[in-house]
Amino acid sequence: MTRPGFVLEVDERTPPLLVHEGEGFRLQKFPLGTQVFYPPDSLPPIRDVTGNIRQALLNPHNSEPLPELMKPGMSLTIAFDDISIPLPPMQTPDIRGRVIEQVLEIAARNGVDDVKLVVANSLHRRMTPGEIKRAVGERVYRSFWPEALTNHDAEDPHGLTYVGQTDKGEDVEINRRAAESDLLVYVNVNLVAMDGGHKSVPVGLGSYKSLRHHHTVHTMLNSRSYMDPSHSALHDSCARMGRMLANHLRIFTVETTLNNDTFPKPFTFMNKREWEWSLAEQGAYVAAKKANDSGPPRIRREVFQRIASPYGVTGINAGETEAVHELTLASVHRQQLVEVNGQADVMVVGLPYICPYNVNSIMNPILVQCLGLGYYFNLYRNKPVVRKGGAMILFHPVPWEFHQVHHPSYIDFFDEVLSETTDPAAIEAKYEQQYATDPWYAHLYRNSYAYHGVHPFYMWYWGAHAMDYLGDVIFVGGDRKAVHRMGFRAASSFADALEMAGETVGGSPKLAYLHCPPLALAEVR
Amino acid sequence: MIDEIRRVARGWRWTRRPLVPRSAEAWQRAHEPKEFPTGWARSPAAKAVREAVLRYGFRPLVWTETEPTVEGLDNLDHLLSPVMFVANHASHMDTPLILCSLPKAWRERTAVAAAADYFFDVWWRAASTALVFNTFPIERTGGKRATTTARRLVADGWNLLVYPEGTRSKDGWLGRWRHGAARLCIEYGIPAVPIALRGTYAAMPRGRSWPLKGRLPLSVRFGPALYPQDGEDFRSLSRRMQQAMARLWDEDATNWYQSLRREAEGTTPSLVGPQGPRWRRVWEASRPLPRRSKPKVWKR
Repeated sequence: MTRPGFVLEVDERTPPLLVHEGEGFRLQKFPLGTQVFYPPDSLPPIRDVTGNIRQALLNPHNSEPLPELMKPGMSLTIAFDDISIPLPPMQTPDIRGRVIEQVLEIAARNGVDDVKLVVANSLHRRMTPGEIKRAVGERVYRSFWPEALTNHDAEDPHGLTYVGQTDKGEDVEINRRAAESDLLVYVNVNLVAMDGGHKSVPVGLGSYKSLRHHHTVHTMLNSRSYMDPSHSALHDSCARMGRMLANHLRIFTVETTLNNDTFPKPFTFMNKREWEWSLAEQGAYVAAKKANDSGPPRIRREVFQRIASPYGVTGINAGETEAVHELTLASVHRQQLVEVNGQADVMVVGLPYICPYNVNSIMNPILVQCLGLGYYFNLYRNKPVVRKGGAMILFHPVPWEFHQVHHPSYIDFFDEVLSETTDPAAIEAKYEQQYATDPWYAHLYRNSYAYHGVHPFYMWYWGAHAMDYLGDVIFVGGDRKAVHRMGFRAASSFADALEMAGETVGGSPKLAYLHCPPLALAEVR
Repeated sequence: MIDEIRRVARGWRWTRRPLVPRSAEAWQRAHEPKEFPTGWARSPAAKAVREAVLRYGFRPLVWTETEPTVEGLDNLDHLLSPVMFVANHASHMDTPLILCSLPKAWRERTAVAAAADYFFDVWWRAASTALVFNTFPIERTGGKRATTTARRLVADGWNLLVYPEGTRSKDGWLGRWRHGAARLCIEYGIPAVPIALRGTYAAMPRGRSWPLKGRLPLSVRFGPALYPQDGEDFRSLSRRMQQAMARLWDEDATNWYQSLRREAEGTTPSLVGPQGPRWRRVWEASRPLPRRSKPKVWKR
């Protein structure tokens, strides 16, 4: 029986707790009474994954079985989530590859010749051939790369189809091949509650023209939170687009969920509750900490980026998008939900080395902001973990460092835009169009491995709700210049950060530490 | 590195029992604790270390700090291993005292039952007691694993030293008697050798880690072996063990013949101490034994 998520109250028996801080980690003592949110124990994985995939495809929800949808002479497009999930990347075989293989087995048996595979990378950077091969597996890669297995190109004027407008006037434009196929099979990995559902096709295969309607400051401020799709303006917009698309083309969704086995050996101690660490795990912590702290930064990054998670698959559901996604969300909640009573004055988080946009890359300050104020702050349902006007303390060194190939527009955004203002609405109004339509960024997005020119804006909007809601944001150990550029404060130690937060929330604040990763989603009552 | 090790050592209480935060206790998995391995403590190398520590460390120490008298070793003369030594238990001194009183041939084939929850809760205590006293863990709460190691040791021919009370006496007198030792004797058909320890409570009771000053007299008296009889149940054997221990105690306090007479008359003093409030039992038990050594002629 898997133990549910629970809230620890720090007492004198509590050992120091593990806190991630970028490409590093530490043991941190927390003040007595601090509430610490732990996710449920890792759910037992499905043993026969291949058999379960087959069953899901043959017995879909609200849809005919997949073999009945495959006819000779038809055109089939298989789209799948890009490298931004899961995090860290999962150990091979990747679940996407396993599902795609089963779909292709059925297609081959049913005489389908016109098959194309598309990476649903939206405005993210293209995946490299090696990354694609890792995701889909060698068999699929050898059969389809490079002619019939490609990255989605949101700037290709000939590769997009304008489908129409929703009843709220939102433009829907997606990948032409997908829009014109007789059947679109979308294969997803649903790492967190914000993923999947109608967000997959309209966003993953969409263009800036489409995304600009929901990736806005307004939708972010009205998504409480975007980890709770039923209360998210972002997801409402995506749903309108998704339903419209479902009327235009046949979409068969396959969604998968993973358990919380996030870190492999020798980092398994990071998956466990600290007081349950064995002597060997305590030793592993000391050894890993020492090796990490004394290693050169490049080696350190290399080691972290090579971590592949031994995730187990906990759910495979196929069929009509909404019916499938309901089951997927239930599975995600079963793995991540932790019930919390009341809001805290100060929310504490330790940001790890990875976020969706720096796989095999560098986590620059904007991505740090996005991970902390975007993703971590929004890991709640009902109410935020912290009260309105409260403070958030984040552990991360926030290095002033950018990946020149992957994040060129981020560099300019950081230098040019943030030096003028950090207000998301003002940035959106003044700069978004300029960056989104800049031909050089578009060129790099299409031909190099760069994120789209508008992407740093979206990352900034991602944190808009938190910036609007919080009274203070403090980075422990953060590079002062980088942190100040973003309009936040830096503290050299946790004690200092608490002292600084006291100016905003008063003395003896109620602290809540979101112990993550492994991923937890707070259900705040 | 050193700081990090220190932080981990302090946070996880390397030298003490690990603790679970109170709010997490309800969520702890019920797991069968792994038994601390003690097989290594019976290897030739460990035996040699143990013999050296006991003979050249503990024996001089105990015999210097206290004044023990050892009687009844002749009862071991014609015995064959394995046997079960059963003794009353009032002090941490009891084990080194008994082991150092035993002849070497017996000592090096004797293993001591020690509470798993006390002596085997942290690695350093488990390892050090296993090495020095040849202890093995025994679950005081019972359960199927409680006597697994004891059975294995008896089957391998090891003598066992067991304190049937399971813990040190709180008032110096005999506490609740558990039947595990009698069960094992019956199961394996091995004799029980009762040992009466007197004076250890007065010399070093619970809560003390060093004997009281003044070289208080102690007494270790071995009794004749008790063999399980055909068809005897463990309760009966346990009763005989207690009676034998009471008689030994009486023998030590009076003399052999008088103790036999009182046993025959059924007037052997009880080992549970005087009735009445607790202080009376503590008072009596903490009364030092009369000195048996001759008074020094030349006093300082």
